Amino acid sequence: MIVVKNLHKSFGKLEVLKGIDCHIDQKEVVCVIGPSGSGKSTFLRCINRLEEAQQGQVFLDGEEVTAPNADINRIRQEMGMVFQLFNLFPHKTTLENVTLGPIKIKGMSEEQAEDIAIKLLRKVGLGDKDHVFPAQLSGGQKQRVAIARALAMQPKVMLFDEPTSSLDPEMVGEVLEVMKDLAHEGMTMIVVTHEMGFAREVGHRVFFMDEGILMEEGTPSQIFDNPQNPRTQSFLSKVL
Amino acid sequence: MKKFLSLLLIVMLAIGMLAVAGCGGNEEEPAQQEPAAEENTITKLVVGSETAYAPFEMVDEKTGDYIGFDMDIIKAIGEAMGAEVEIRSMEFTALIPALQNGQIDCAISAMSITDERAEVVDFSDSYFDAGLIIAVAADTEGIETMDDLKGKVLAAQIGTIGADACVAVQTEDPATEVKTYDHVGEAFMELQKGGADAVVNDMPVTAYYVKTEASDKVKMVGEVFQADDHYGMPVQKGDTETLTLLNEGLAKIKADGTYDAIYAEWFK
Amino acid sequence: MNLGFTSTEWIFGTIILDRLNEIHGFQVVANNLGNFAMGAVLTLEITLFSLLIGMVLGLIAALGKMSNNQLIKFVAVAYIDFFRGTPLFVQILLLYFGIIPLIFDATPVQAAIIACGLNSGAYVAEIVRAGIQAVDKGQMEAARSLGMTHGQSMRYIILPQAFKIVIPPLINEFVMLLKDTSLVSAISAHELTHTGKMLYASTYQAVWVWGAVCVFYFIMTKAISMLGDWTERRLATE
Repeated sequence: MIVVKNLHKSFGKLEVLKGIDCHIDQKEVVCVIGPSGSGKSTFLRCINRLEEAQQGQVFLDGEEVTAPNADINRIRQEMGMVFQLFNLFPHKTTLENVTLGPIKIKGMSEEQAEDIAIKLLRKVGLGDKDHVFPAQLSGGQKQRVAIARALAMQPKVMLFDEPTSSLDPEMVGEVLEVMKDLAHEGMTMIVVTHEMGFAREVGHRVFFMDEGILMEEGTPSQIFDNPQNPRTQSFLSKVL
Repeated sequence: MKKFLSLLLIVMLAIGMLAVAGCGGNEEEPAQQEPAAEENTITKLVVGSETAYAPFEMVDEKTGDYIGFDMDIIKAIGEAMGAEVEIRSMEFTALIPALQNGQIDCAISAMSITDERAEVVDFSDSYFDAGLIIAVAADTEGIETMDDLKGKVLAAQIGTIGADACVAVQTEDPATEVKTYDHVGEAFMELQKGGADAVVNDMPVTAYYVKTEASDKVKMVGEVFQADDHYGMPVQKGDTETLTLLNEGLAKIKADGTYDAIYAEWFK
Repeated sequence: MNLGFTSTEWIFGTIILDRLNEIHGFQVVANNLGNFAMGAVLTLEITLFSLLIGMVLGLIAALGKMSNNQLIKFVAVAYIDFFRGTPLFVQILLLYFGIIPLIFDATPVQAAIIACGLNSGAYVAEIVRAGIQAVDKGQMEAARSLGMTHGQSMRYIILPQAFKIVIPPLINEFVMLLKDTSLVSAISAHELTHTGKMLYASTYQAVWVWGAVCVFYFIMTKAISMLGDWTERRLATE
């Protein structure tokens, strides 16, 4: 479903991605782990072109995302993204955060968009918070709204950029629970995360990245129980 | 609201007290003045002038000095009386307040002697007889007298007798519009760009402007009016010492031909 | 109807009023309150219309300055730099006597509004630009990640948030603009300062006339700042 070929990205002289090749199948949940500064987030952001790669290609269902003439605004509708810092729209209510995309981008009627939004907010456990502003929500609640907002566009794939990293520990569980449900429903997901438990339990495959290189990939049990690459071994010995 | 009103009252009161203090000072001074007879003790005159009123006062483009008929007259008076003359350039409307505050000793700025002004300052003997004239764009027909100005757009300099004359026309016919400017040059610019139908101003200045700047665009029409318009040099009310110096100096330069020479230089 | 004063204060006030009535300058001001008020109304009118022009131009210029199109960027930067880099007084004279007559016959008030509006636009542009840049970068990314175009993201996400950020500096600009309109007295727009000049030229009551002009300006600027505080409180969501 997603194919990445020889992806290179530098910020000035700093080479962050040194040629990434991979493919992700439909309904697959891929967790990307690795030390800070390994290029995990940049990799994710290059997939929907929030960062422009200097070299290499990304395909979504056979269509080249990285093509200069690609209709990136349409393609992004098919790739939902969840950010580490939520990035909810503070001047909009929870409900408006979720309905804004369907109404303004897809031209959906307000009633229809609200129908979908309320269902999604219920799904993430916030059915009663529809007229509340983001500032009145906890971190965990914000992130669940952000997930609902991304889902409202009915994407084919969901990109998660360290979705629990800025949460207080007691709120991590509620967000992971929502993501777990999503995975069970068959959503294709790429999750950059430090939650090894989640990666092991929910992930179909795990990517280990270090220094801009995809060092090792495999099933959770291959990576966590029997890592082959010495860097993977050293990283896991520190975090587990 | 109450607090604000009280504050306003205090501000007004403070201003009032300042003004009262100012008035009191002025009233007492005349009694203490002693007429300076033959002995002239003044060695320096600080003279205010609005130096944008050619040919009476202007800035020499090359040297940056203040030049003009008034400048030559006051310098000649200073020379005749042995007093150094320092010119201070200021807005025309600031001249009388500056006299009242004592910031300047006297002013020479093509200032007409009027009853209103004479109430707040003392004037020297007249040193120039002027009058008002109407100036219009070169292609304007049908404006010759003040009566023709009714209902028109008039331009003049703030605080001049030309502006007073315009306001008098406006009082008679409210359809008249009066535009007033800090400097007479702006009134002439307004005339040239079509924003005004006529400029009412001192004849010698208008004549000089038409001759030097706009002989093909602006013309003078009709007769000189308010011909009893005399220029004088104002001093602070009760300052007889400066007044005597100015009058004696003026008499001297008139007697020895200096005045006539200066007059010929600027107006012949 | 005693405006909230106690009787003692009221009697005290009456005595002060009697004393003030003996002063010429006070009479000059008192007799011309209507003229001051008319001047103040025109000052407000010029300010409001200028601000309106300034906000529209400012928004366009701010977006222009941040544009990727080099020509648009150049025009916006040139406009902002010129009007911020030269004195408003000179701009007023240049526009009224020099440039506007080439285009149409403007009254002094129209020219004043055009000059102040153009000048204000340059300052508003910098305020708006700073406001847009103060909105968290993640907001643009979140909007784009949903599939919004750059324009949609600006319109629905960035500008509404920037608007809240720019209200305090915009109110400040409003106050500055109101004070700066005193300069248009030079082209015979009969606003508050011109009213003062005329009265001063015929009465020579510097302290009283200019003091009264100050009081009128102060009432207007104070009212604007209070309006600004109120708006800020209304818009606060946190």
